[in-house]
Amino acid sequence: MSVSAQSESPLARLSRVTVPAPAALNSALARWQQTRLSQLATATLPTPRDDAWKYTSLRSLDRRDLSPAADGLEAQELLAQLPTLGSHRLVLVNGRLDTTLSSPQLPPGCTLTRFDDYFSQVPEALFAGDIHLIEDRLRYVNACMTRDGVCIEIAPHTQLSEPIEIILLATGQGAYPRVVLSVGEGAQVQVLEQHRSAANTDSVTVQSMDLRVAPNATLTHTTVQESGHQAIVLAETRVAIQREAHYAHQWMALGGQMNRLDLKVSLEGHGAHADLSGLFFADGSREQHLRTLLDHQVAHTQSDQRYRGVAAGRGRGSYDGKVVVHKNAQKTASSQSSRNLLLSPGAEINTRPQLEIHADDVKCSHGATTGTLDENMEFYLLSRGLERSAARALLTFAFIDDVLKKLTPSALRTRLEAAVLARLPDAAILREFVT
Amino acid sequence: MTAITAGDLILSVRDLKVSVNDRSVLKGLNLDVRAGEVHAIMGPNGAGKSTLSQVLAGRTDYRVDQGSATFLQEDLLALPAEERARRGLFLGFQYPVEIPGVNNVYLLKAALNARRRAQGIPEVDAYEFLTLVREKMKLMQMDDSFLSRGVNEGFSGGEKKRNEILQMTVLEPTLAILDETDSGLDIDALKVVAQGVNSLRGSERAIILVTHYQRLLDHIIPDFVHVLADGKILKTGDRTLALELESRGYDWVLEEARA
Repeated sequence: MSVSAQSESPLARLSRVTVPAPAALNSALARWQQTRLSQLATATLPTPRDDAWKYTSLRSLDRRDLSPAADGLEAQELLAQLPTLGSHRLVLVNGRLDTTLSSPQLPPGCTLTRFDDYFSQVPEALFAGDIHLIEDRLRYVNACMTRDGVCIEIAPHTQLSEPIEIILLATGQGAYPRVVLSVGEGAQVQVLEQHRSAANTDSVTVQSMDLRVAPNATLTHTTVQESGHQAIVLAETRVAIQREAHYAHQWMALGGQMNRLDLKVSLEGHGAHADLSGLFFADGSREQHLRTLLDHQVAHTQSDQRYRGVAAGRGRGSYDGKVVVHKNAQKTASSQSSRNLLLSPGAEINTRPQLEIHADDVKCSHGATTGTLDENMEFYLLSRGLERSAARALLTFAFIDDVLKKLTPSALRTRLEAAVLARLPDAAILREFVT
Repeated sequence: MTAITAGDLILSVRDLKVSVNDRSVLKGLNLDVRAGEVHAIMGPNGAGKSTLSQVLAGRTDYRVDQGSATFLQEDLLALPAEERARRGLFLGFQYPVEIPGVNNVYLLKAALNARRRAQGIPEVDAYEFLTLVREKMKLMQMDDSFLSRGVNEGFSGGEKKRNEILQMTVLEPTLAILDETDSGLDIDALKVVAQGVNSLRGSERAIILVTHYQRLLDHIIPDFVHVLADGKILKTGDRTLALELESRGYDWVLEEARA
């Protein structure tokens, strides 16, 4: 029996890719990858039958070429479209650090190591036996394919006045960025992760991020997804929050054809706090999916989740959030809120807040709503003479802006407000309301 | 559009029958309102007062079964709500809705400019508009914080009603329908609201006050008082009718109508 190339798993095709360039074979990472790549030959992508992928179908990957993209010539052009928000930029093109496009150096207190070098020094810190081919297929794929990722270490008590920008550009085919960030004790840092891709290219990004927030440190992390309309981005971010540390994440999912974030947060120390918020905008035939896991491992930890979703046209979105409270994690406080807006009959949003509580003295709340625009609000605006389309756009924007207006720095907020406005009808009228 | 002068017919409702969820609410209502007039429509709860206000303003979850409503010689019922507003019809809501995230004053500016575009006059600039709004806010005893807040967001009941009247005084409608504007107001707030409404009285416009109680009419003297009960205007009189209703209730009007 012959198997046609069409029905072969994209991962199987990937297993035959000659990734490690001969010169790089000398590195520990390349050797590690070499021995594991062949395992992908029999691997398949997760399907909606897997509970973790219930709302996300990866069928569209069947038709994509996942082999690692060459250096992207369009990168400079893509970068030029992004106004700078600080003076510290790391630019990864198709997953690989581009030193010519990046800032020459990071601010004092920050050390940048090439991921390949970092892996040679501490392999167990990264792949400490917790990659399971079946359960963590995409993380596994990233591990097998990543090259020239970055590892940033922030020294204890560093206070940065400007954010560090990590810009991820994709120009076609596969990109496998790996980012490791370790925030030292008592440090205060903001990281802006921004995704862009060349228009009309079938890029596929499979990304892994590992963040560690040491005791008493604060990490504010903003992810802005503005990839082109054919881009597929599957990202996993793992966060470990230690004693009295604070991690804030803002997810701004505006672009891409399909964009998915798996955000796995471990609250590992007494007083650890995770504050997650964000919005997705799934218009056209776009898909935006978010899956969160908040793992409260010890007592006196707190997590808050506040998400807004909007789907229009045939757009689809999902919020699949789970909070796990371990047996000894008494006095856990956790809140989950997912509010969603459907703007057209063809749009779809699934939301599933879940709680798994093994302790008895906890305060956990969750709420999820999905609905259409409020008719009473709409009628009120119409009765004041506003066009129906303007009234609807205004209410949509107000719904979104509730999350947007909390973004920092303000230059980013202004830019994203303008980007959202530009995608709503009657932008000219709306602009008056937000200036 | 020719200027409106006292006595011109602004609104004419003929044999209007309206139902909500297959329940008949208005059962053949007739009403003529002319420029310069203030009409009070009173009636017991459930008589159809709010339905009349909402139908005239263009709410679509009511079904018009029969009859007509003509506003400035146009078929009002054929116009969408926003077109009615632009032609000069204003509804002061019984329960003004809170719209977080939509700025109160920008909404008012957008509303005024929509009206002005329809009238063929230039839009107001920001400075001119702010001067106008500040003047009207002073009249309504509203402080500057109203400028920056979301539409009715976190407003008390009284503040919401004052905000409705503020909008009305800025928009200067040809026909203002004020639905239970007095409900939930203490006597001081009632006086402020009445002052706002009285400031707008004039020969080029008309006002319909829909109310349950006569106390508003101590402060805004109506030219006509109508009793709306069982889906129809059963009786029309001058302001003394309101006083009579206050002391005798509505039952006698219903009995008189049945007789």
